[in-house]
Amino acid sequence: MLILDQVSKRYPNGHEALSNVSLQIDTGELVFLTGPSGAGKSTLLKLINGIERSSRGQVIVAGQNITQLAARRLPQLRQNIGVVFQNHQLLFDRTVGDNVALPLRIAGMPPSDIARRVRAALAKVDLEGRELDWPEMLSGGEQQRVGIARAVVHRPPFLLADEPTGNLDPALSKEIMGLFAQFSQLGVTVLIATHDLDLVKVMSARQVKLEAGRVLSFDQ
Amino acid sequence: MTSNPRAGGAEARVILRSERIRAWGRHHRQLFVQTFAALMSAPGSLITTWLVIGIALSLPLLLGLGLREAAVADAKASIEPSVSVYLSVPSDSAEAQELLNTLRGSSQIQSVTLVTERQALNAFAAQSGFGDILRAFSENPLPAMLDVKPLVGGGAEAKLLVNWMDELPGVDEVVFDAAWLARLQALMRILNRLVIAMGLLFSLGVILIIGNTLRLTIESQRSEIEISKLFGASDRFVQRPFIYRGFWLGLGGACFAWLIVQLSLGFLAAPVEQMAQAYRSSFALGVLSVDESLWLLLVGAGLGISASWLSVWRHLKQIQPK
Ligand SMILES: Nc1ncnc2c1ncn2[C@@H]1O[C@H](COP(=O)(O)OP(=O)(O)OP(=O)(O)O)[C@@H](O)[C@H]1O
Ligand SMILES: [Mg+2]
Repeated sequence: MLILDQVSKRYPNGHEALSNVSLQIDTGELVFLTGPSGAGKSTLLKLINGIERSSRGQVIVAGQNITQLAARRLPQLRQNIGVVFQNHQLLFDRTVGDNVALPLRIAGMPPSDIARRVRAALAKVDLEGRELDWPEMLSGGEQQRVGIARAVVHRPPFLLADEPTGNLDPALSKEIMGLFAQFSQLGVTVLIATHDLDLVKVMSARQVKLEAGRVLSFDQ
Repeated sequence: MTSNPRAGGAEARVILRSERIRAWGRHHRQLFVQTFAALMSAPGSLITTWLVIGIALSLPLLLGLGLREAAVADAKASIEPSVSVYLSVPSDSAEAQELLNTLRGSSQIQSVTLVTERQALNAFAAQSGFGDILRAFSENPLPAMLDVKPLVGGGAEAKLLVNWMDELPGVDEVVFDAAWLARLQALMRILNRLVIAMGLLFSLGVILIIGNTLRLTIESQRSEIEISKLFGASDRFVQRPFIYRGFWLGLGGACFAWLIVQLSLGFLAAPVEQMAQAYRSSFALGVLSVDESLWLLLVGAGLGISASWLSVWRHLKQIQPK
């Protein structure tokens, strides 16, 4: 479960990116976060995994209030949250397999288990057997899917995605959204920020509309 | 019977902790190999860095070794000077004979040679060329003298011996030229300090070199560090590879220093020996012993690890995902 309770975020330059946002997402739920550019979607996601701190209000992740979380406790929180962020793409000097393995290495998993998990995660995004390829050998959509495999390989209970279909064609976008829906059915709590309203319409999921840092509505 | 979920939970935590410790050990083992392999993937810059560190470490080391050998030579040389014991009695008196016997019986004295008044006069006349003037005296003005070669080592012991001889009956004056020894020892103390200062300065240099190398590596891996932290890597976790890199840089640099020192000693050995022979000294440059070599490697590795702690930690903490 994910709870934002009257959360505001003011950046150091004085800009208030979020104003009094309250939101609750149940375990295993898939929620879309929409709104025009600058509405505060990315900011909201960053508050959940501690990249940014809220200026007011409470952010509660899996029963843990992370508003006052000590910096040394952040890693523990982040190991439970898979992320697909656009400014954190793949490492191009690492193979596809090494990229996907990163969260497992951080968790300290034995190499044999890592290989097995990476294979399974790549299979889930239809990239079986591509472990030894280099990211630059993949198409944009394939790279995006490797990023998703990396985000879920360690089976985190939470998944945050910021524009995961940014530069993909509609068919591939739909496929990727289908993947996220599958994860939520497995009990993963998924929050996706996106501009793609057409795509959101065809998905049967809740939509939270943001505008100028405020929640406009919850659409079913 | 109902199951006890808390007991199960506690058990799971225990397993988790032992698994965490295993994972920690595994990470260290992997990094030990991986960081070395990563450094070896750029052999040109690696060897350059090692060479720079090696040179920086070898300079104070060579000076220190030279000084150590000089100190050994000094200890041997301090028995060389002779002590002149001037007599207040004639050389053919019974007192003179007794004094001679006393000194010959001392365990601290190697040899005693009697120089009679006449011998002293002849020697002085031959050396000074004032023989005619001296012969003008009706009596020989020069006293008899005992040329004493002491067995004692250092300056303090020699001083005790001199004081003892000064008190003996029949002794007028004991002359022992200890000034050159004192000067040498003062010089050695200065050089000693110089070696320590140089050692500290060059160690600082090594730390700066390694720290700088590591910071460049961090910059080139910035996005990897950011993504690692995004997925929950702790500061310690991302720091670990840099500690091992520092370790390898320091250790490799120390190996190069060892090589440079041994080669330099081999290169210098022959001329140093020749020079020492010319000065009738037994000064000779030795090689590094096994103990000293191990110490050198330990210091090198230690400097590398210190460098990664001092210069990397804050830098790594500042890198955060955005
Ligand atoms: N680090 C920052 N410092 C100051 N202002 C910021 C910072 N990051 C974002 N903002 C501002 O906060 C507002 C919300 O930004 P945010 O990135 O959350 O929007 P968004 O909804 O994700 O937009 P987009 O759809 O374009 O990605 C914007 O006006 C932006 O300029
Ligand atoms: Mg955004």
